[in-house]
Amino acid sequence: MMVLLNILIVLILPFLMIGIIRKTKAFWGGRYGASIFQPLYDFIKLIKKDYVISDTTSFLFKIAPLISFTTVLIAAVFVPLITGNAIINIQSGLIIFAYLLALNKFFSLLGAMDTGSSFEGMGASREACFTTIVEPAFFMIIASAMALSGNFTFDALSKIGENSGSYGALIIIFATLALFLMVLIEGCRVPVDDPATHLELTMIHEVMILDNSGPDLALITWASGIKMLLITSLIAKIIIPVGSPFYALYYLLTIFVVSVIIGTIESSMARIRMSHIFEFIFIMTSFALVVMSLTVARVFGG
Amino acid sequence: MIYILSIIIILMAGFFLVPAAFKALIFGVPFIKTLKLGSSSIFNDINFLIDPLSGFFILIILIMGLLGLIYSKGYLKPYIEKGKSVTSHYIFFVGLILSMIGVVSCQNAFFFLIIWEIMSLTSFFLCIFENDKKEVLDAGVKYLIFMHISVIFLIIPFAILSIKSGSYDFNSFSNVLKGNEGLKDVIFTLFFIGFGIKAGFVPFHNWLPKAHPMAPSHISAIMSGVMIKTGIYGILRVLTFVYEPTKFMAYFVLIISVISALYGILYAICQSDIKKMLAYSSIENIGIIGIGLGTGLLGIVHNQPMVALLGFMGAIFHILNHSIFKNLLFFGAGAVYLKTHTKDMELLGGLIKKMPKCAVLFLIGSVAICALPPLNGFISEFLIYFGILKGLSINSFFNFLVLISTFSSLALVGTMALLCFTKAFSITFLGHPRSEAAQNVQKDAPISIIFPMGILALFALFIGLFPGFMFEILIPVIEPFMDLSVITSVKEPLDMLQTISYTSFAIIGIVILLAIIRFSLSKSVKKAPTWGCGYDKTLTRAQYTGSSYVSPFLSMLKPLFKNVYDIEKPKKLFPSSAHFAMEVEDIEEAYVINPLLKFDEWFLSKFEKLQNGNLQDYLKYGLVFLIIAIIGGFLI
Repeated sequence: MMVLLNILIVLILPFLMIGIIRKTKAFWGGRYGASIFQPLYDFIKLIKKDYVISDTTSFLFKIAPLISFTTVLIAAVFVPLITGNAIINIQSGLIIFAYLLALNKFFSLLGAMDTGSSFEGMGASREACFTTIVEPAFFMIIASAMALSGNFTFDALSKIGENSGSYGALIIIFATLALFLMVLIEGCRVPVDDPATHLELTMIHEVMILDNSGPDLALITWASGIKMLLITSLIAKIIIPVGSPFYALYYLLTIFVVSVIIGTIESSMARIRMSHIFEFIFIMTSFALVVMSLTVARVFGG
Repeated sequence: MIYILSIIIILMAGFFLVPAAFKALIFGVPFIKTLKLGSSSIFNDINFLIDPLSGFFILIILIMGLLGLIYSKGYLKPYIEKGKSVTSHYIFFVGLILSMIGVVSCQNAFFFLIIWEIMSLTSFFLCIFENDKKEVLDAGVKYLIFMHISVIFLIIPFAILSIKSGSYDFNSFSNVLKGNEGLKDVIFTLFFIGFGIKAGFVPFHNWLPKAHPMAPSHISAIMSGVMIKTGIYGILRVLTFVYEPTKFMAYFVLIISVISALYGILYAICQSDIKKMLAYSSIENIGIIGIGLGTGLLGIVHNQPMVALLGFMGAIFHILNHSIFKNLLFFGAGAVYLKTHTKDMELLGGLIKKMPKCAVLFLIGSVAICALPPLNGFISEFLIYFGILKGLSINSFFNFLVLISTFSSLALVGTMALLCFTKAFSITFLGHPRSEAAQNVQKDAPISIIFPMGILALFALFIGLFPGFMFEILIPVIEPFMDLSVITSVKEPLDMLQTISYTSFAIIGIVILLAIIRFSLSKSVKKAPTWGCGYDKTLTRAQYTGSSYVSPFLSMLKPLFKNVYDIEKPKKLFPSSAHFAMEVEDIEEAYVINPLLKFDEWFLSKFEKLQNGNLQDYLKYGLVFLIIAIIGGFLI
């Protein structure tokens, strides 16, 4: 039952999340906006479409979206979603989770490079570069959380608060902020990337999938939505108190609030200039370093 | 003829050694052969021992040696057709394999060094196969020099130990070191430098990216995948007679390894020569092995058996894994070189259509080396990660700091490897061909090249799918460095490996399922050129190149390189010629080795006057030398 619920959440919620973000943007723009189910309709429309495939590409281009989708789907098994418990709750699940996302990235990069287009090359190059900054910061947060709680499962995240005494609030705030930045970066949202435009302005994620079409494109958008949802779920796991009876409610609320914040950010600011994006991403690293130093202070400073 | 003979010799060696190695590995029964040479007390008993540790290495050496031999048939064919003699090549090849087996089984310091030297020399001769090229000879000589510096560092501690113990046998060394912490640290550091030069730890790595790309590909594979591991073997063997490591040793290994891993992968990213890139990535992987070792040592020092187990197992596992995927990748690079006659990635591209089998196998190698599930690389890195996480509970400030930075460095290394190998694969195999050479490839590499690659890819997949099985087999290997009896249960890591195994199966299963669905959808597929913003005839040279792919990343780390530019700007209205070339020079080479060599040259030039061609002067030198020798003799 719980497993089914989890699967349903993974499959449906990403669309709603994107729908809410768009609705928020419409609200701030003074428009009525499309229904929050619009991403789902778009998805169904894409599934029905035929393929247009570049003649430069090889079989890899067709397989890459399948692998990208599979990896996020399996990664979802290790992440605590609406029930507060992952379907498979094992030690070091976080590392498996991170490496599954890396596998996802590996094949989406190859898929982009397979077209031989310099636009897609550009996008792939930047995306790969962002990962090299984001991942170590993510691992710092993981390690800090685990060192604080002495627990190596995802529950370590929820125990940050209760194990870190007076530093608790600070650690939670900075870890949440860092993960929120990760949502923006990995989910390709403003100010790192702009999912609403396609070409010159946003030569990152969107440009990588320029040549994908039909069901392939549908799978890719679905996969990136799931990825965003999974990282947001980590935020939920951190801020929702352990053993809360209304975990599911709080969880949905977190997803909603995060989506609204993302939408608000997108309506209120422009994308950062490409040459400054790295500086922006390094903010996540510095937040992770703060989490780490607070952890050290907690463990050895009393 | 000589080829068949070599295969027979290797198979015969396998026939005798594989059962012994298996016996040691699985049943824990070591095999000892004692040679008696003369009656002198030093050479009295020369032990050759195959314990689980040696058995593990022997199996790797034999398997990789045999695959290398099979590969060489296809690889050397064009050379043979051009009339190049390969007889000596095969003799040295067999010599290298046998001497490596000797190195990992010999228990006598004196003979160990002799066999060690044979190994270095045979690999030197293999390395300079294309000896009509100047850069090959230069690289070979550099290799030879470094190996002799390495031997100096090995002779000193071996000499100290054997003088103190009065025997050359490894077993007697542990008594000398027992309880003597200071001596232990000194001896271990010397050994680490000596073996580290062979293994390619930074800052002793300089020979590695020079020598490996110059050798024929199967030799690069053997050197990178197997031979540099004898350096690691040396360090492991030293640990068996140090037995109780000190804190200094653990941190020393850990810090050097982290630096090696980061440095190696950083320079791997910069390279456009595919084999040089693989050579630098070997440095990275040696670093990862070292991180595992360091974690294991920390576990012993702080009396945390689980940390030690995970660290050592991660290191041992990674030795195996690295030899699998690095051989696979070098074989792939060799196949590309064979077909296109270039190692420069910037001139390649689009090969996946011309050489599909080779491309898929290279892709498997790339996924494995990036430590991604469902392949083998992930298993070893996972064990090391988990070991470090467990180690965080050790209550020491310095330890915590070192481990947590190691942890995130390992993540950084992982993502940099991802950048490096997506670049290598996509620039070499994807997109449009960037040159005539890549355009003109007609067919895939021959079966003698594809077959060994296929076997290695299967190994990589097998370990990825059944990690628990391999884990249990490899446990006896680490017995010499730690007391396994304190580990009550290995259920915890085994459970996790089981989950990883399920995950791997799930990835493969779901991808196959989705692929079946996707390809059975009855959709019309329209072929069109890649979207080019309205331009439909795009220039293949305008594709993203390898250096542009990595430039956003490298631009962040500018101070860590020395870029050597060669630019000729276009001049006048109708420029006749212009070019741009950029090369990244190893920072250690630019700022340490080269100044050192310059100083050396300057210093030695002061003595040039001594050689003046005057016979009388030479006689005078002789006289002076004799006087000094006689007086010195009296004084001593």
